[in-house]
Amino acid sequence: MDLQLFTLVLLDAVSYAALVFLVAVGLSLIFGVMRVLNVAHGAFYAIGAYTTATFVIWLEGQGASPWLSFPLLLLSAVIVGLVLGPLVEFGLLRRIYEKEEILQLLVTFALFMILEDVQKLVWGVRSYFADTPLQLLGSVEVAGVFYTRYQAMLLPAVAIIVLVGLRFFLRRTLPGKILTVVTEDREMAMALGINAQRVFLLTFTLGTMLAALGGALAAPTSSVSTGIAGEMIVLSFAVAASAGLGQIEGAALTALLIGFGRSLAVYMAPELDAVVPYLIMTAILLFRPQGMFGLPQARRV
Amino acid sequence: MLKRTLFIVMALCLLVVPTSFAQDEPEPVRIAVFTFTSGPAASYGMPGRNAAELLFEQINEEGGLGGIPVEIVFVDEGQGGEAVVTEYRRLASEGVDIMIAALSSGNCLAIAPIAEELEVLTLMWNCDTHQVFEGNEYEYVYRTNSNTIPEFVSGALYLLDQQPDVETVAIINPDYAFGRDAAEIFKATLAVINPEIEVVVELFPQLGAGDYSTEISRLSASRPDAIFSNLWGGDLNTFVSQAEARGLFEQSQMVLALGTSSAENLGDTLPEGVIVGALGNGWFLTPEVQSNPEAVAFIDAYVERYEEYPSFPAFKMTQTIQSLELAVDTAMESNGGTFPTKEEIAAALDGATIETFAGTLQMREDGDGQTDQVWGVTVASDEYDFKVMDQIIRFPADLVSAPPGEPAIEWVSTLSPDILEMIPEPVSMME
Repeated sequence: MDLQLFTLVLLDAVSYAALVFLVAVGLSLIFGVMRVLNVAHGAFYAIGAYTTATFVIWLEGQGASPWLSFPLLLLSAVIVGLVLGPLVEFGLLRRIYEKEEILQLLVTFALFMILEDVQKLVWGVRSYFADTPLQLLGSVEVAGVFYTRYQAMLLPAVAIIVLVGLRFFLRRTLPGKILTVVTEDREMAMALGINAQRVFLLTFTLGTMLAALGGALAAPTSSVSTGIAGEMIVLSFAVAASAGLGQIEGAALTALLIGFGRSLAVYMAPELDAVVPYLIMTAILLFRPQGMFGLPQARRV
Repeated sequence: MLKRTLFIVMALCLLVVPTSFAQDEPEPVRIAVFTFTSGPAASYGMPGRNAAELLFEQINEEGGLGGIPVEIVFVDEGQGGEAVVTEYRRLASEGVDIMIAALSSGNCLAIAPIAEELEVLTLMWNCDTHQVFEGNEYEYVYRTNSNTIPEFVSGALYLLDQQPDVETVAIINPDYAFGRDAAEIFKATLAVINPEIEVVVELFPQLGAGDYSTEISRLSASRPDAIFSNLWGGDLNTFVSQAEARGLFEQSQMVLALGTSSAENLGDTLPEGVIVGALGNGWFLTPEVQSNPEAVAFIDAYVERYEEYPSFPAFKMTQTIQSLELAVDTAMESNGGTFPTKEEIAAALDGATIETFAGTLQMREDGDGQTDQVWGVTVASDEYDFKVMDQIIRFPADLVSAPPGEPAIEWVSTLSPDILEMIPEPVSMME
């Protein structure tokens, strides 16, 4: 493979992986701490995207400085996280932690479907189009091909900040450490006086915010329409499962790997680009059912 | 539990049955209209839906279809192919009289044999694939619309007429019948006119892919003189916005077969100088449309109600409804004024010539339709806040359509390079 091709494939892979990572890491975090596979995560992504598109279009109508759209991206992720996270955790999930896993899966799936309809109620079925932030940053030439600065630089930068930030939070701060303890052994943590419910609330809100951030950042690059939630939940699940649920750095690496595989497919075998992420996931899970970075679960008695 | 369910079902039946005995008013003609009203394809499907709503309302205000009121039900193709087929069967069993179906070529290919099996009169309003009638004879299926052959032969001719020096071409089409067919036809036409032209990349992203970043890198890296695409709806909007941000429009001459249907959605994002088509003659700023007072009245009513201009899917819907109106009227003239049977309507459609808002629709004996093909180049306008067409060439239907019964792609390869000499001169609507 020549250098130009490699560069192009890598750049495409990185910007693609950045978005998928943001969503997958939230999913992974929630599973790691709460042991709930949250299918509704995809809906949070979509709602983040819709909210951002609404804000950006509203901003265009106001005639204000278009640069304000960048803080709006962040703001919509925070709002969606702060509103939906506690609402869902407190109102719904709290009631089912002790239930069987299959029931938890069904409940979050039902929530996903309900939220899909809520999106249709609020935003209708037309596609929204809010590319102001993408156009503002302009483009940069790499190996003879133009890339938007937004996709080639901003998205990877945000993903790296989130990755480093999460690492710092989990290893160096008290709430982060408590969260890690609950992940390791919930019963022991509770026996030591840790308020697991508060930890769950915090984790779920943070995870929701990350999904919404993924959506917010995706909104300027593509049209926002019904159906994006389903696609993203499947993809981010593929990433999170390949990495091993709960693995944060692992999710980043698998997202890159899957992004790279998919980009390479567009150049080498365009027929395969849609299935490549799942082929990679299948290959990984065949050999390491616990995921690439997952640890084998010790059975607790 | 079972007993209770049975009881409820019976109670419901009792509620429903009496209405069918009420003969005071004539029973309405029930028509189902299939289009995309959700998902990325809705931005293309809604104009079709809107046009049907508007036109059938007007028809009902004027006394109905052949004097009988029309009742329409919309079916969303966004629910997926299998569900659409199920819905078609369900509506047929509930006694829907006429189906206006469908938008997607994939759905039309699935529906055509079922329509024939159930003997339900089906008017295909939008789907273009030439495969529908290739090797099939249908009694109840009509396509009141042109097919992929004229639509993409004319596109390739327009490109070569405007840019005779094109040497390399890339293609990016959606991955199903419509995209694959178009690529074959476009390539075959180029090969006839200039066998030296090289197709450097062919990409078929899945329908509704949502992101074309990698595809755009690949297109950009291969530096083609021209890029042809029949992406549509939300997909086309996304592709254009991503490609524009990355300078693809400056690198290559873009040919967007469905470009006019996204022009208003895209606004400033669609650059000038892009070759765009309308899959037929449905562009509102042609001399033919603007000189037709009924068409202008329709456009005004449409803009007033839906706050956007009718793009070509709206025109495709109007020409289908106008075909139906004409066929019903013709059939009633010959049968003495009673509402015609589906066989009588079908007979009236055979070989009919329909004067539509956008020009003439010629129905052929194989059930397929033929219209002129309109292509142009995008240009900014003072009057509209989106790009409109300039350098409009109206390709006569007969020049670019394969004759009935002939294998379509083979017909394209029998074209002579002289066909470029037979194309009408471009017309400008900008003054």
